[in-house]
Amino acid sequence: MSKKPTAGPALHKVIMVGSGGVGKSALTLQFMYDEFVEDYEPTKADSYRKKVRACTLTPKTLGSATQCCTPSLQVVLDGEEVQIDILDTAGQEDYAAIRDNYFRSGEGFLCVFSITDDESFQATQEFREQILRVKNDESIPFLLVGNKCDLNDKRKVPLSECQLRAQQWSVPYVETSAKTRENVDKVFFDLMREIRSRKTEDSKATSGRAKDRCKKRRLKCTLL
Amino acid sequence: MDFDSPEEKEFPGLYASEAADAKSKKSKEESDFSEGDHEKHSKKDLIGRRKDKKEKGKDRGYAALEGESSPEEELDTKSPSKSKKSKTFKFTSSKSKEKREKSRDKEKEVKAAEDEPSLKVKDKEKDKDKDKERQHDEKEHKKKDKERKEKDKKDKSDKKEKKDKKSKQTQQEDAAGVEEVLALGYPIFGVSVSLATERSRCHDGVDLPLVVRDCIDYLQQKQSLKCEQIYKVEPIKTRLLHYKRLYNNREHDATVDELNIPTACSLLKLFFRELPEPVLTTDLVARFEEVASHPKVTEQQAELQQLLEQLPKCNRTLLAWMMLHFDAVIQQERYNKLNAQSLAMLLSPTLQMSHRLMVALLCHCTNLFPDVKLIKYVPPLTSSSPGLPDKPEDIQIELRKQDSLLSQIHSEMNAGFITKKREEQLWEVQRIITQLKRKLRSCEKKQEKSIDELDSSTSAQTPGQPTAQPAPQPVAAPIDSVSEDTTDSKSAPTHLTPADEQPEEPSVSASPTATPIEYTVDKQTGYLLLPKTSAQREELLRLQIEYDELMNWQNELKTRILAERNEIFRLKQLCEQEMLKPSAGLAPNQEQLPNEGDYERVIEHYTRENALLEHKKQMLGMELKEERRACIALQVELRMQQF
Repeated sequence: MSKKPTAGPALHKVIMVGSGGVGKSALTLQFMYDEFVEDYEPTKADSYRKKVRACTLTPKTLGSATQCCTPSLQVVLDGEEVQIDILDTAGQEDYAAIRDNYFRSGEGFLCVFSITDDESFQATQEFREQILRVKNDESIPFLLVGNKCDLNDKRKVPLSECQLRAQQWSVPYVETSAKTRENVDKVFFDLMREIRSRKTEDSKATSGRAKDRCKKRRLKCTLL
Repeated sequence: MDFDSPEEKEFPGLYASEAADAKSKKSKEESDFSEGDHEKHSKKDLIGRRKDKKEKGKDRGYAALEGESSPEEELDTKSPSKSKKSKTFKFTSSKSKEKREKSRDKEKEVKAAEDEPSLKVKDKEKDKDKDKERQHDEKEHKKKDKERKEKDKKDKSDKKEKKDKKSKQTQQEDAAGVEEVLALGYPIFGVSVSLATERSRCHDGVDLPLVVRDCIDYLQQKQSLKCEQIYKVEPIKTRLLHYKRLYNNREHDATVDELNIPTACSLLKLFFRELPEPVLTTDLVARFEEVASHPKVTEQQAELQQLLEQLPKCNRTLLAWMMLHFDAVIQQERYNKLNAQSLAMLLSPTLQMSHRLMVALLCHCTNLFPDVKLIKYVPPLTSSSPGLPDKPEDIQIELRKQDSLLSQIHSEMNAGFITKKREEQLWEVQRIITQLKRKLRSCEKKQEKSIDELDSSTSAQTPGQPTAQPAPQPVAAPIDSVSEDTTDSKSAPTHLTPADEQPEEPSVSASPTATPIEYTVDKQTGYLLLPKTSAQREELLRLQIEYDELMNWQNELKTRILAERNEIFRLKQLCEQEMLKPSAGLAPNQEQLPNEGDYERVIEHYTRENALLEHKKQMLGMELKEERRACIALQVELRMQQF
């Protein structure tokens, strides 16, 4: 199970999931290229790679959102240079067959819904289950993301409900706006940080401990 | 789930591979024998096996220390898909454990190759067959040992040779064991032609297994065809098997592992020898033979043609490529000393047909396969490729290739062929596709922009521009731009501005003066006509006609743009008028206000629909343009006939 940290900048694999039209591509493009695309074009699957370079983002400064990361070409995660692979998936069920292949190789997930669309929020449950089924690991790095927070006046999903669900899953909840770039960097960086700490944890763990944890994980899943 | 279909697909191959393995072994033994060092071989193998055991023990020790998963763990943890359909597979792995305990020196490979079939077929008769199985295993084992030895050797030599390669391989080494297990369940060699083709596609639409394509490509080079070694010299066995393994594991990288002539020839032969049935198929091969013994040559061809139609498509393609390639070989008889007779002597046993039949196929091949051309394969780009193509058409071609590659990876992964490397590749291909799409889109945007610019420039120019009468002299100048710029004929007028014409003109007049050729001007059309003897007459004429047609199209488009603009103006005015009388419009609207939720949904629905329609419209626009271009090409041909 354990992955050895490879030489060179670490590579973290992030997967965007969520219903169609919630803004997965918009978030990705905003993070990648600082552009906001108005028109809707369904995604089948897209993948991006970005080098991230340090401007030492501590969680605190991140909390105050947008401008803390200058739109540099590379992303620096707490002083360390890392690479990020982002896979933007299709929201539509039609592409579910190929989704598993991607989920399997994903190291962290951003589960996106639109705060203006209750159905997309309900759908997150489904996505979460799917991911857990494929990854077989309840503590997989995972963020629940409520997008379109610039449209707060049209909010359909109350904040409390979102937070409750995140609590149940014991994952962080963040609201973003791909349009205004609010918290866009934050979600990606937070997730990368989780992935990284997870990886170091895994590589530090002695084989015995790793095995133990594997067993634990499997046990949990059988319960599921 | 969707696992049924791939599995069904997989199984025939697996059986087939077994059968073929047996066959190939037989033939290999024969060849070993003929070399006269059969005994030596087996001794070596024995030693090798012992060594192997030790090595393996070591490996396992490492694995446990590092927490790296040992093979059986890997089976459980690494393939969630399998755990999904768990029953059969859990069973498999547990059974394989049992097996290992019984005969510890059994190789991983053997397990992989056998697990699935053995589950279903051998389960009941397991006890009876145990002995046989063991024998079988041993044979497999020997083979495997050889392969492993070579690999080790190869690794060593590589380390000396290339650093980057070394690091690559050492990286792979940990995973290699596991990957082999997985990959060998889906081999290229020893399965039916259709399966081999499906498993290692050429992504440019030619249905050939990649290994065959690569070998033919390599041998079709001029210097290879002329080389006297071709189809005569045997390669170093280890090298041959090394390549077989590379292709079986889809690890072949043309830039790193370059073939040589003996290896390419023998790899081809090996592929054919290991086919579970002859390329002419068991059903039809007898009839082919019948036809080959037909006395009348003319009828023979027709009958062969008829039989070829009945072959599965990929068999036909494979045969066609081989025959055309052989034809190319015997064309160079002067250099390589091979004619149809001698080549057939060498290769007809491998292709599982009689000498006579092969000669017959060879002598008719250009007529039998008029539609097939041997084209060198350009594989899809990888991240290490220098850069993406720039022209929209090239991008489209590349996109098609990448899409084909992607769907192959997906189908293989869905069928359970999952390795780390595959996953890496999946992301990489996906990334390249995304980049290509973005590039294509930006190209389209640029085009749109240039149309906009054209609009403004034409509206400014229209009064003074002499678009209708392309005078004889300036003709040549725009031709340059048109032929260069086939992507967008609409930008042609920018080159046409008077400023552009002037510098070009001297060169045009210079060329006729430098070579004092007489030319006439066709009075009706104003075309420059060179004398019939001139070689460039055709070309010049064609370009002039093409230019005319493109100009016509441009004018047509311009008038339409103008019309559209007028329409916009008219609608704007109408709009303003409507705005001026608001009271009438508002009243009914207020009645609808109460159900705002529905309203929003409707709006959303329509925005989506519109986006889709917009997309469709763009696609149609592109199609229209293509069609129009084809029309123009035809028009040009038509008009050429008049001269």
